[in-house]
Amino acid sequence: MSRTILHLDLDAFFCAVEELRDPALRGKAFAVGGQPETRGVVASCSYAARRHGVRSAMPMSRALRLCPGLLVVRPRHGAYHEASQQVMERLHALTELVEQISIDEAFLDVTALPEPGEAIARRLQARIRAELELPCSLGVASNKLVAKIATDVGKASARGDGPPSAILVVPPGSEAAFLAPLPARALWGVGPSTAERLAALGIATIGDIAAAPEAELVRAFGKNGYALHRHAQGLDDSPIVTFHEAKSMSREVTYARDVSDERALRRTLDELADDVAQQLHAAGKGGLTVKLKLRWPDFTTLTRQESLPEPACDAAAIRAAAHRLFDKTWERGKAVRLIGVGVSGLMDPLHQLGLWDRDWQREGRILEAVRELQKRYGADVVRRGAPE
Amino acid sequence: MRVACLQENLAKGLAMVSRAVATRSALPVLANILLRTAGGELTLSATDLELAIGYRVGAKVDEDGAITVPARLLAGFVTSLPPERIDLAVDVRTKSLNLRCAQYETSIKGIDAVEFPLLPAAAPDDPVIALAPELWREMIEQVTLAAATDESRPVLTGALLRLEGHTLILAASDGFRLSVRSAELPREMGNVQEVVVPARALQEVGRACQEEPNEPVAMSISAQRSQIFFRAGKISLVSQLLEGSFPDYSRLIPTGYVTRATLDTAQFRDAVRLALFFARDSANIVRLRLIPAGAGPRGQVQVAASSAEAGSHVGQLAAAVEGDEMSIAFNARYLLEALNVIHAEQVTLEATAPTRPGLLRPAGDPTFLHVIHVIVV
Repeated sequence: MSRTILHLDLDAFFCAVEELRDPALRGKAFAVGGQPETRGVVASCSYAARRHGVRSAMPMSRALRLCPGLLVVRPRHGAYHEASQQVMERLHALTELVEQISIDEAFLDVTALPEPGEAIARRLQARIRAELELPCSLGVASNKLVAKIATDVGKASARGDGPPSAILVVPPGSEAAFLAPLPARALWGVGPSTAERLAALGIATIGDIAAAPEAELVRAFGKNGYALHRHAQGLDDSPIVTFHEAKSMSREVTYARDVSDERALRRTLDELADDVAQQLHAAGKGGLTVKLKLRWPDFTTLTRQESLPEPACDAAAIRAAAHRLFDKTWERGKAVRLIGVGVSGLMDPLHQLGLWDRDWQREGRILEAVRELQKRYGADVVRRGAPE
Repeated sequence: MRVACLQENLAKGLAMVSRAVATRSALPVLANILLRTAGGELTLSATDLELAIGYRVGAKVDEDGAITVPARLLAGFVTSLPPERIDLAVDVRTKSLNLRCAQYETSIKGIDAVEFPLLPAAAPDDPVIALAPELWREMIEQVTLAAATDESRPVLTGALLRLEGHTLILAASDGFRLSVRSAELPREMGNVQEVVVPARALQEVGRACQEEPNEPVAMSISAQRSQIFFRAGKISLVSQLLEGSFPDYSRLIPTGYVTRATLDTAQFRDAVRLALFFARDSANIVRLRLIPAGAGPRGQVQVAASSAEAGSHVGQLAAAVEGDEMSIAFNARYLLEALNVIHAEQVTLEATAPTRPGLLRPAGDPTFLHVIHVIVV
């Protein structure tokens, strides 16, 4: 039986939230993001700004050159997070099968609902508009791949100055025909380099990919060739994933100005390690691998990692590993543009007790007491802290 | 020097002494092996100044002499020669060692023997303890596995060797586990004596015991010079003792237990080995559940491991379990290494609490015990 999948994308989400705060922004060319003098990038831009060629992820300095009157609005992530949650709550009210893929995008599986997909999409769009004053676009199809592309195509073909608020339905059976005229780039997993290699094979559209012999694609792209061929025909059976177990946790910062002062770098390392420790703590996990990421002013980026004998969840252990990696990677005086600390290999935190630890017997009694407390009052009542 | 010996004997000796050759040393001669003839014998020696190994090769000596040659080259080369007679001669003028074997003639450049450090020898009046090589080998194997491999507390990279009355005790601990093995001495020793021997030196003694299984292996300690000597047939070994006193381990050995399981050693070992496949990605954690006999006639020990990526595994072993049911977690590698050196058919595991160290012993054998501290989640 064919599935009915909705893809929902909030239109210029951060900008829409900003317009709620300050209605004077409506219709103006503005962008949410970092200041140009601190190497800010465009996180989201209004439709008026888009008409000047401004796009998200673009350096703010470039956006200002394209659109000299552009208003730059400082992002308020707390507000976006809150608005996003309210949207997601409305999706969850409809079905449990919701897969949130970013702050402003989600898939829904509405196969089990009695109404047709298009009607559900219209109702959802109207509700979010009425209750939250946020515009959104939806794609309706028999799978995630086609639903998402439907949203993109719907948005791109919208006319008018305001948000697209598009709804595009691809009826079951017409997936391949819908995709065929689109450029190969529109397909999942086709980035600039794959597109270039496809072009070299004389393949420009998704239809061309579908028509190409599978063997040829496999020869050119290995295992990905199979997926490419299937996707080009509009075939995708990936399910709605309602729960993601985190595989890693990380934090990074890009400095406003390159930093080469060792003390400042190490201070940042400590802060990042503490942040990651806090994330781990909140998730009740420890990590077996600590990773350091450094980006030089010329944008070359390197990552170095270290395995720990047991999963670390305390800031001290993560700090220590991060500094060891830093010692191995950084040369005195070298300027750093970005620095990041991450932890992967997540698992329940555990601790090998040591025989020579002076107070192991005392530690044993403490652990027993902690366990007793957790049994009675729940796991969160008390946790291991980090020694300062 | 002019001497003849068999390729096989020379190759064996070179392989043995090569283990004491310094891998990184400021002194070039320490990368060499000393060949010396005296009293109708050819002796090979190597040292890194902490450990020295000597080997007497059966040979026909025509003219006494000595030279040192690069260890890796000589050992590798001689091993590759055909199993025939080798004639060795030193060219004093060019400081090289000439070898003739079958259709091959070789000259290897060396360094003058006077450059080689003088190796200490046991004083004739040091008391000697001789034990069967098989006993030495087993004791060393059981104890050195628990010695520390990192240098953060150098004394823990060694094993305590204690002589008291009729007993010899070897003990080692890396902070997470503790091995203690005792043996009866053929005669009573005088004063109590305690020294700390580098685990690496003991492991070489263990190897020598395997090489020379037929005669007792003699040990003597020179306390003043802080050296220990071993002689196993053709092999002699000298090691510097470690400085510092070994921490008192007696308080680490659990006294009494809440749960005790007795089970088949080989089955337990196999179960831990299987669990290790699933423990590898999760810090080697293996969870044991000791379940006393309830409804059934016998108890059991469950050996379980799991990882988010690999999956999960549980083994159920029949066991005699006394006391309360207990769940306790260990590093599977530690458990496996201990079970690998327990040769008794049955092993006992005693536990006091999931947060207290566990105690492993060969059933019915009071001479060996192994303490492993737990992993707590």
